[in-house]
Amino acid sequence: MIKISFLYSNTALVNVMSSSKFQLWGGCFEEEPSSVLRRLNDSLPVDFRLFREDIQGSRAWAEELFQSHHLSANDNLAIQKGLDSVEKEIEQELTENGKLKDAEEDIHSVIECRLFKHSGDAAFRLHTARSRNDQSATDTRLWMLASLPKLTSAIVELITVLATRAENEIDIISAGYTHLQRAQPVRWSHFLLSHAWALRDDVTRLEEQRSRLSRCPLGSGALAGCALTIDRKRLALNLGFDDITPNSMFAVGSRDHLVEFFNWASLCALHLSRLAEDLIIYSSQEYGIVRFSDQFSTGSSLMPQKRNPDGQELIRGAAGLFLGEAFGFSCVLKGLPSTYNKDLQSDKELLFRTYDRLLDCLKISAGSIRTMKVNIDRALNSLEPGMLATDLAHMLVRRGVPFRKAHHLVGTALLRATNLGLDLRNLPYSEYIAICPEFGTEEELKAVFSWEASVEQYTSSGGTARKAVINQLEILHIWLQKYNKECTV
Amino acid sequence: MRKNYVALIVIHKSKFQLWGGCFEEEPSSVLRRLNDSLPVDFRLFREDIQGSRAWAEELFQSHHLSANDNLAIQKGLDSVEKEIEQELTENGKLKDAEEDIHSVIECRLFKHSGDAAFRLHTARSRNDQSATDTRLWMLASLPKLTSAIVELITVLATRAENEIDIISAGYTHLQRAQPVRWSHFLLSHAWALRDDVTRLEEQRSRLSRCPLGSGALAGCALTIDRKRLALNLGFDDITPNSMFAVGSRDHLVEFFNWASLCALHLSRLAEDLIIYSSQEYGIVRFSDQFSTGSSLMPQKRNPDGQELIRGAAGLFLGEAFGFSCVLKGLPSTYNKDLQSDKELLFRTYDRLLDCLKISAGSIRTMKVNIDRALNSLEPGMLATDLAHMLVRRGVPFRKAHHLVGTALLRATNLGLDLRNLPYSEYIAICPEFGTEEELKAVFSWEASVEQYTSSGGTARKAVINQLEILHIWLQKYNKECTV
Repeated sequence: MIKISFLYSNTALVNVMSSSKFQLWGGCFEEEPSSVLRRLNDSLPVDFRLFREDIQGSRAWAEELFQSHHLSANDNLAIQKGLDSVEKEIEQELTENGKLKDAEEDIHSVIECRLFKHSGDAAFRLHTARSRNDQSATDTRLWMLASLPKLTSAIVELITVLATRAENEIDIISAGYTHLQRAQPVRWSHFLLSHAWALRDDVTRLEEQRSRLSRCPLGSGALAGCALTIDRKRLALNLGFDDITPNSMFAVGSRDHLVEFFNWASLCALHLSRLAEDLIIYSSQEYGIVRFSDQFSTGSSLMPQKRNPDGQELIRGAAGLFLGEAFGFSCVLKGLPSTYNKDLQSDKELLFRTYDRLLDCLKISAGSIRTMKVNIDRALNSLEPGMLATDLAHMLVRRGVPFRKAHHLVGTALLRATNLGLDLRNLPYSEYIAICPEFGTEEELKAVFSWEASVEQYTSSGGTARKAVINQLEILHIWLQKYNKECTV
Repeated sequence: MRKNYVALIVIHKSKFQLWGGCFEEEPSSVLRRLNDSLPVDFRLFREDIQGSRAWAEELFQSHHLSANDNLAIQKGLDSVEKEIEQELTENGKLKDAEEDIHSVIECRLFKHSGDAAFRLHTARSRNDQSATDTRLWMLASLPKLTSAIVELITVLATRAENEIDIISAGYTHLQRAQPVRWSHFLLSHAWALRDDVTRLEEQRSRLSRCPLGSGALAGCALTIDRKRLALNLGFDDITPNSMFAVGSRDHLVEFFNWASLCALHLSRLAEDLIIYSSQEYGIVRFSDQFSTGSSLMPQKRNPDGQELIRGAAGLFLGEAFGFSCVLKGLPSTYNKDLQSDKELLFRTYDRLLDCLKISAGSIRTMKVNIDRALNSLEPGMLATDLAHMLVRRGVPFRKAHHLVGTALLRATNLGLDLRNLPYSEYIAICPEFGTEEELKAVFSWEASVEQYTSSGGTARKAVINQLEILHIWLQKYNKECTV
């Protein structure tokens, strides 16, 4: 019996190995796939990047098979050692060549093929009761769990840069704009922090995804589950997951964690793009409020004087790409039948592209802002008396004039000033009193025309008065400390 | 005298305008068509009044408004709310000439409360006012989406419980893969929707921040207690930075992205069911309530409900993408580009609620054809089971996979399938296929599904376990709804 099975085993072995590549399927196929199909189908140029996670998953899978008595101790040992060797050799080849030259269609096939060279027949037992559906779904989640924290760190770094500048530049007052028209004086730091708060929420949003991401799909098989009895929970915990996926069909077909990530990345990118827009405008010569360092500017091949905020421009443009990737991947999923369909393969290509680009954008943003210079005089020059119109209205309000009327009265004063070729500050006192006696004494009126007095009105929480800005900084610092503690733990 | 003169100026214009003191001409009518948001934002009248009530109250508490003026405003707002309610019930829209609901309400308030009305907008801007209105509306409305999703999950779970004996084909790449319990398939969709409920709730902490007191961008020029005001309005917290508060629409981006993902789930469920409803599959049949016919072909019975849901996913994606595009590279604080938020919000919300209800209704009333479900099963789908049989006898899986592949090829060449391929053929390929009885025992759908006993699998026990977890989760929601 043993002899016969040995004979058949050899025959089967020969069948497997006589193909020019190691293929995980094909027993009932007569022809090879067309080469143009292979070009679109083969994912190795993309998924080689998951080699560590695939090996990590396979180590745990073999261990679980052993623990559940479906794999002998010897075979498990051979597989574990073989996987160690495969990991080292792939690492080395990637360092030398930047890619793998294997003929196999994907990293899973590559690794199993190489494993056979190290571990022999034991390699053929690795994929017992497993499918690439649950295997690769697990690999992607492992990669995301390991990589996403780097994005968190990069965002925390950018927030730190903004908060540090805000702390140092709290005395600078400049125009605050709405509709990009000069609105009211604000502290420059208040503007910087408005962006920091948006980014802080991005960190929270990323963390909220973790509980859903940290579910191990292994043991879902192709779609029906695991045909052999295993302890999925033990396996999941061994791999560092918090939980298991609750339904095998859901597990192999769901890419919700990727949709969430892409949508999240596009929102984070929107924040970076709005900050970029602001700074690009402020860097124009007409505004002249900021100037980027040489490190984060580029010149023109034609015009010698040019100094372009390319770093910020690339970030602003990248937001469009993030949106496209998020939208594109959602389109892939739209109306897709249950469980696994090959359409889903594009997930990794987009994942890596989005992740890499976002990390770069965050770093460029932090670097640009850390090294930019603020022109305090130009910031002050952006202020003009008309921007104190609201303050004049509030002056009337404090004297009992209903706001609605105060608003129109000041509007009348503005019109009058324009007609006389003046501004609110040099409009004669007599003109004011003619419009409304509640404008007070000449000294009181004059006292309104102070940028510091203006910003210091806004003492309520979230406002632009010094106290309120310092309060924002305190809250942010406490929050940042929490993140730095967690990073060093 | 002068005060009267000013009052005349305000009222002489054919409409009540919150701005214009320094303008000489009226805006062009084509600009008004694009700019006027009343046709959209009238829907926020309750929230705007609610916000104004709280704003007036806070001004009073902070000594910027007299008790008399506050009372006049509160009473006036009550009257305005009633009259708008009535007009909307009768006409479906408002005929006021003002550009937006904020102007409409202040104008009408003047008719009831007189000069006190002119004190309402003290230290406030439409920037923080309307941002607050939208958040109030979302906080009140989003729970209805949660309820609708919970209802759909309940429908799926109920069917799954009742139909646990039905076995049908499970597909991957839409090719027959392995036998699964029909209930396992239903629950795969229920689990996706459960996560949607969680995701919606996660948005609440960021949504429930009150922008009031942010003014136009710089904050509140008069001292008020923003926290007290926020809590009075039912918010959990205040926005931390006034420039961020007036310019951020992140809660809308999150909502649109969330809605598009929920819609993707509905579209995938729809795709499955539409395919299963085709005559070739014939596994489900939708009720008359959720089907439509053809104006030409008398026999036609179309799963239109599901088709509309599947198509709607495209619209949700477009709205989410479109609004994100609006925000891309937009300067800080408020810009008029942001006005389109409400139009998209209402459209997305209304449509999603309808889709969820249609989905629940279709699935609740559809019929499953148990025979056709069984007919979708064929012996080739037990190929993996044969491979596992060899594995249990010590054959390495990689080899077992190819051996069964060989058997499949052989069967095809003989014009047979795996079940009627002669035993002798099997043994010739590999003796580990066991005895003839053992081989025969593999060809049982029940035996096949019952292998998958591990958590999340399709064996009866594993499916029942999923149902138990879902029931506990559903109970929590039903309790919360009745509280």
